[in-house]
Amino acid sequence: MYTNLQIFQLASGQALHASARQTVIAQNIANVDTPKYQSMDIASFKPDLSNSKDGFRQRTSRDSHFGTGGGLLPGSPEVQRAITAQPNGNSVSLEAELVKSAELRQKHQMSVSVYKSAMEILRTSIRR
Amino acid sequence: MSDLLQSLSVSASGMRAQGTRLRYLSENMANADTPGFRRKTTSFIADRRDGAVAGAVRSGGVRLDQKELPQIFDPSHPLADESGNYIGSNVNLLIELTDARQAQRSYEANLQMFDQARKMTSSLLDLLRR
Repeated sequence: MYTNLQIFQLASGQALHASARQTVIAQNIANVDTPKYQSMDIASFKPDLSNSKDGFRQRTSRDSHFGTGGGLLPGSPEVQRAITAQPNGNSVSLEAELVKSAELRQKHQMSVSVYKSAMEILRTSIRR
Repeated sequence: MSDLLQSLSVSASGMRAQGTRLRYLSENMANADTPGFRRKTTSFIADRRDGAVAGAVRSGGVRLDQKELPQIFDPSHPLADESGNYIGSNVNLLIELTDARQAQRSYEANLQMFDQARKMTSSLLDLLRR
């Protein structure tokens, strides 16, 4: 029932994105001393709201199309272009990773709060 | 949620690798005065699955530093040869201490990531509560 409500879709999409990004950042930080490791990241959360009539699904015109970009699912991690690298070829910057993790923590918290308050509204509407 | 659980295990692998590194460093420091001791070094390897980085990290095998062992002049040393020299260890305490500090910082960063993933998991579980 609630999965069809867009606010729940959006909130859980963002929470999903934040947790996928958390995994990638944990991976970067675990490899902060690994030679030749290149820092990775996931593209930011950008749901396609233009097609809001049938949820957030991407329009497909052929069977071989499957929606990825602009959908609610997080993309796959990609190697980031290195601005600076350590002498051993490692391009992880601990500071940058910590900033990213603080950012995603906030977003995760926000989406959980939105989910919670939307649930509260639903509860109120059915008087429980 | 499975992503967060994976994040926990990745951070734990990072902490384990840093712990192994710290163990080698303390072995080196403990043996700084052992004649003929070569310092142990280890390098980290990112786990790979089908050629792509799988996430976790592990410490590679231990290697011995091939730097030349110093000749130390001390005629009273029981291991000294006829010229009064004996072979010392190639441990440099300054390098070991710097390395240990770096390992500590990286460990702390991993610990922070672990804690954050744990908090995110528990905030998700809080949704079940009324």
